Amino acid sequence: MNRHWNSYLNQTLSRRELLRVSSTGFGSLALASMLHGASSADPMAVKTPHFKPRAKRVIFLFMHGGPSQVDTFDYKPLLKRDHGKPLPFARPKVVSGETFNLLQSPWAFKQYGQSGAWVSDLFPEVAKCVDDICFVKSMWGSNSRHGGALLELHTGSDTFIRPSMGSWVTYGLGSENSSMPGYLTICPTQSHGGANNFGSAFLPAPYAGTAIGSVGVPARDAKIPFITNTETPRNIQRMEIDYSQVLNRKQLETTGPDHALEGRIESFELAFRMQAEAPELQDLGQESEATRKLYGLDNPVTEDFGRQCLMARRFSEKGVRFVQVSHTYKWDQHANLRRDHEQNAAEVDKPIAGLLKDLKSRGLLEDTLVLWAGEFGRTPTAEGSDGRDHNPEAFTIWMAGGGVKPGFSYGATDDYGYYSVVNKVHFHDLHATILHLLGLDHKKLTYRFAGRDFRLTDVHGNVVHDIMA
Amino acid sequence: MLAKFALFTGFSALTLLAQDAGDGGAAFFEKNVRPILIAKCVGCHSSTSQPIMGGLKLDTREDAIKGGSRGAAIVPGNPAESLLIKAILHTAGALKMPPGPKMSDPETAILAQWVQMGAPWGKSVVEKPKEKYWAFVPPVKGSRNSIDEYLQAGLAAKGLKPAKPADKRTLIRRATYDLTGLPPTPAEVEAFLNDKSADAYPKLIDRLLASPRYGERWGRHWLDVARYADSNGLDENLVYKNAFRYRDYVIAAFNKDKPFDLFLTEQLAGDLLPGSSDPATQYERWTATGFLSLGAKMLAEDDPLKMEMDIVDEQLDTTMRAFNGLTVGCARCHDHKFDPIPTADYYSLAGIFKSSKTMENFKVVAKWHEYVLAPKEDRDKLAAHEAKIEAKRKEIGNISKAENDRLAAIGMARMGSYLLAAAHVQRDQDVQVAPIEDEKAGVVRAAGSYDNGNVPKQLEKKKPNTPKDVKGPFYAEYVIEVAQAGDYQVDVFDQEKGAGTASLYVNGNWEARGADPVENREASPEAGGWSYIAIVPLQKGKNTIRLEHPSRFPYFEKLLIAKNTLPRVPLSRVQIARKYDVNPGYLENLVEYLRRSNGATASPLYAWETLTDQAQAPALAAKYEAEFNEAVKAGKGPLYDFLHHKFGPFRAPSNARQYYKSEVREQLAKLDAEAKALEAATPEYPKAMGVTEGKIDDLAINIRGSHWNLGAKQPRRFLRVISGDQQTAIGPETSGRLQLAQWMTSKDHPLTSRVMVNRIWRYHFGRGIVPTVDNFGRLGEKPSNPELLDWLAVRFVEDGWSIKKMHRLMMLSNAYQMSSDYDEKSFNADPENALLWRMPRRRLEAEEIRDGIMTVSGGLQHDHPGGSILKYKDRQYVANTSKGGDVDYDKTIRAVYIPVVRSSMYDVFRAFDLPDPTMTNGDRDATVVAPQALFMMNSSVMLQHSARLADRLMQMSTDDAGRVREAYEAALTRPPTPQEVDQAQTYVAHMQKEWNGDRRKAWQSFCKSLLAANEFIYLN
Repeated sequence: MNRHWNSYLNQTLSRRELLRVSSTGFGSLALASMLHGASSADPMAVKTPHFKPRAKRVIFLFMHGGPSQVDTFDYKPLLKRDHGKPLPFARPKVVSGETFNLLQSPWAFKQYGQSGAWVSDLFPEVAKCVDDICFVKSMWGSNSRHGGALLELHTGSDTFIRPSMGSWVTYGLGSENSSMPGYLTICPTQSHGGANNFGSAFLPAPYAGTAIGSVGVPARDAKIPFITNTETPRNIQRMEIDYSQVLNRKQLETTGPDHALEGRIESFELAFRMQAEAPELQDLGQESEATRKLYGLDNPVTEDFGRQCLMARRFSEKGVRFVQVSHTYKWDQHANLRRDHEQNAAEVDKPIAGLLKDLKSRGLLEDTLVLWAGEFGRTPTAEGSDGRDHNPEAFTIWMAGGGVKPGFSYGATDDYGYYSVVNKVHFHDLHATILHLLGLDHKKLTYRFAGRDFRLTDVHGNVVHDIMA
Repeated sequence: MLAKFALFTGFSALTLLAQDAGDGGAAFFEKNVRPILIAKCVGCHSSTSQPIMGGLKLDTREDAIKGGSRGAAIVPGNPAESLLIKAILHTAGALKMPPGPKMSDPETAILAQWVQMGAPWGKSVVEKPKEKYWAFVPPVKGSRNSIDEYLQAGLAAKGLKPAKPADKRTLIRRATYDLTGLPPTPAEVEAFLNDKSADAYPKLIDRLLASPRYGERWGRHWLDVARYADSNGLDENLVYKNAFRYRDYVIAAFNKDKPFDLFLTEQLAGDLLPGSSDPATQYERWTATGFLSLGAKMLAEDDPLKMEMDIVDEQLDTTMRAFNGLTVGCARCHDHKFDPIPTADYYSLAGIFKSSKTMENFKVVAKWHEYVLAPKEDRDKLAAHEAKIEAKRKEIGNISKAENDRLAAIGMARMGSYLLAAAHVQRDQDVQVAPIEDEKAGVVRAAGSYDNGNVPKQLEKKKPNTPKDVKGPFYAEYVIEVAQAGDYQVDVFDQEKGAGTASLYVNGNWEARGADPVENREASPEAGGWSYIAIVPLQKGKNTIRLEHPSRFPYFEKLLIAKNTLPRVPLSRVQIARKYDVNPGYLENLVEYLRRSNGATASPLYAWETLTDQAQAPALAAKYEAEFNEAVKAGKGPLYDFLHHKFGPFRAPSNARQYYKSEVREQLAKLDAEAKALEAATPEYPKAMGVTEGKIDDLAINIRGSHWNLGAKQPRRFLRVISGDQQTAIGPETSGRLQLAQWMTSKDHPLTSRVMVNRIWRYHFGRGIVPTVDNFGRLGEKPSNPELLDWLAVRFVEDGWSIKKMHRLMMLSNAYQMSSDYDEKSFNADPENALLWRMPRRRLEAEEIRDGIMTVSGGLQHDHPGGSILKYKDRQYVANTSKGGDVDYDKTIRAVYIPVVRSSMYDVFRAFDLPDPTMTNGDRDATVVAPQALFMMNSSVMLQHSARLADRLMQMSTDDAGRVREAYEAALTRPPTPQEVDQAQTYVAHMQKEWNGDRRKAWQSFCKSLLAANEFIYLN
């Protein structure tokens, strides 16, 4: 009994050789089996887009609840003038609740930067970045409730469960980092569709968003499921895996070529690498004091969202294709607009500005598309005395980097910001545009399921070429 | 008429007439008309258009005459009455065709001419397929007599041979997992190996089919098809607490081999089967209709009709996919692009579901219907009881409304006083009164030293004080003696902010409103301080100072009452209301309105809000009062609207009841108590989700899927491609669900039996004869062996739709008993194994992996009585259950009993390809991805059960070699080779050193490696 257990392995093949063989040699089929069926490609392999992309990756800053356009980026002087008057035109056929007369914004607007973009006092830091930002002020959606609107924003459908935009992007482009999932979502919401907002639906499972933490979990404690083992030291776990691989290798000698069996051997190696890499990527202690400050990590108000943003940059930098950051269900001010919009903005303003500056100084902003959006806007009319109701008819989103026109504003709402009227952009159009920036034709990015070719944009969507640099 | 048209278009139609070649106009059509239709029309108006605009097809003459959603497109012989002609002439209102530039005059003239000629036609504009698609032709039994004969034919054609028979160990492992989802126990393996009789294998199959574990495995397969889940999970994730009854129904149905035609009928129309005197049978049939109700629904949708139509769509699509493998949902907005399913047929079928009742209401958040599983007299009792509660609530609502109306009417008549009171509030709220702080300045009383009260002597600091056994309001009264009558200031010592205040009463008079205490004030400072409450008049001698809160008494430490020293006494809002004799609640509303409006020009109080000379105030207030009274009398106008607006000053104030007459208050309190008692006494019965009959009506086509845009009503009937045009429509007496089930289970239905035998085949052989098991339409794949499929389908019906007989038929075939051995020649000829030259190797499914690990460890229990382990109540919102805590996912019961929470699915289910539980999916993936490896390495299931297995091995009275043998037998259904025994022992010895001598940990490492190995989760 003095032989090392590993000698059996050495007799046949060293582990290193085993890995080499299983990722080349007859094992080149190994990764293929990660997908159902016998396709010849690793589902996460980098794929060539349909045309030259402007952006390689996306960071999506999601403001859950519905930030008010007329209190943030869509300046409406007439709303101030006509404060208290009844809305002079008809309200939508379907509304989520009853609202009263026009309500002016409690915040002052000023113009910033070379571009002269109007920003309210809620976002003093983001205001300094307006020359990098492309505002879309004429967004509209089809659903006036959080659940429907969230699903529409994330998946294009407010009726059925469909793959999320991050899943489509990862499906279309693959991942540039083989030891991390291609689509990460940090502290995602669990309500209003929950995981359906980052799920892959009928797309293969590897394209589903991997949640790091969840709503209510502080960003500092957010982790990938099953990523840690508190019982087993790493070196011992390595031996456990090695022993499994010995058994697997031996079995393969008798089975003939088998994609699935070979793929599974590789999947353990990937998991082991991921287990090492993910915590390191999440370790913000490796960042300089200046960077931490830039994201507001030194302030309890901005720390949590700042961590999410900084993590997002670190993931993006390492080739994660789509990263979502969520400011979860805070922006729903049916009442206490003054107090709560102010608090919300204070939590995200500095981290967002920090992210934009940091990406820019690292040269990442050029090919990283940053998207800031909520699921809808709010009514310019008052709900109660200090609140606004849901409004899918008009809202503002903005993008930066990744091939959009910097210092630009697109589309417009009516005098009070109730309806989008000029150059209206629906969610489907936004999705088509984002895919376009990534080099993907939204009409060609299809997946056949249950006898139909599905698209992120279903049968809709027009690319908004006017906002591209 | 012709002349008129020619004139109108400025082109001579007569010249064209001459071109009629005496062939009835066919040549004219081909030469002149068809090119125009193809160039300008059929892009949007043919059966292949996506979508078919306006429902109009111009494929055939009949199509054109029938027209679309706007009616006939052409009236032969009458161009002026033909919509098509009017549209191209732009004389049909908004309808201008084709989109873009107007047709040229010659083109218009040709079409007008053609209609005038009676619209002669050539061949169809779009070629129609000549042969009927195979799946719409009923199956016919071929001449061969066994599965193997049919397969043999396919293999022989390619020169292939089937693989050799599998050995007995492989066979029992395969069959046991296949039929029960569990590994065979070493004892079962031994018994099978020792049974040398010729029918050992058929006996094994019979034993497995008779096991209650069988339904738990095969019921789960059906649950995939039925998109089963325990929560709604679309927008609002409400718990389907009673969904489990459907799940348990399915498991039981498989165990008792319920004939599939009955199984189908119960799920679509169990409630419509003739009533059963046996209550259990009746409940079972109701429960079965849960199939229709379990889908994911948009429960918060502001458009109720959209919600309803989406639910109908989900039911229709699921039903047709599950039982007939057709994607009928595609025809909601346009005729099916690939299968002969017109939109009209969609609405014929949708009418059946629309006429059924799935939901109690379509409010935000909507409520689904549930059956009460109790005898009729109990159900009646429950309904009567619920009606009583409802009536009580209504009575409370009516009384409150009457009292609110009465108070508002009083208030509305006194707007002048309200305005003056509001002005006083605005004046006095600017006066900042500092707390006195000097305890020697007056009388100090510790909070707990009250003379009379029902709150704790020691008040809680960081949360509201709500003594459990005491009924509110909560209060503390202090009797204070003063030598002199006059104004006194009342201050309390509390925490700096957020502590809240109670309402202040002096000698029975309300003097100041309280503010609710704030909860969870972890961040607020510990240090307390004095706060000013109010200045109140005290009488000489004894006075009663009372602090009161209706529900959540705030913390304070002590109370100070001292003589007022301020020159002008600012009044509290309550005191001001008393002074002006107005309602304090409405006054608050008005003050809030004035603050918000702040001089808005549109405000009806604009003049008041911008008044600068306060001397004018009384006169202006009086003027307003008169005007408002006029408006009330008139019952209309802007002032009237202002008074009655939802957010106007006379809306019911917060705590409205405190202003009611005391006898009304008492009456309401009594009614509240009665309602509460009634609710508590609601009898509880088991409930099941399910559908019943609704308002029965035919449905109009929703043009392009929009219920705002209606076309013609469609009779309720079945797919015309199968049953033709001559169907008897379903009448107004029933939704038609039972007829739908009867149609699907009729002997000559071409799809139902084929689809189900194909599903069974898929689960046994890893791949359907039609590989796209949920889609038998043109976009699905063709059957690899159509004769075999038909033979099985016919057999299935002949055998009384028995699923167990079908298992026997398939599993006793030589094909099923083949080995999975690799053969290079066969592999190269048929790499996908479509012809079945070997048994495919398969990865275990999520449930099998979890149940398998737990079985090998000895941990899995089989005493679960069914039911739900969700701790939530029905309709409660599900939090993130995947985080654990709320659901005991590690519970050692079979995975089929673990809740499927949509959008928050159990990690193990998600990692190992449980299909998205919102869509029918009879063909699970078997992916291999890194997160699965992470599960194997780090999950609690793996850690707990590898430890359990290690314990079990160590407790065995055998040597280490014996332990290794046991582990292999249990996990892999085979003994280890001597080399493997040796290797394992070496490994354990080595790991014991790594674990610092911990033998248990070393064995656990071995168990983890063994369970993580491919051989454990892949079945040969």
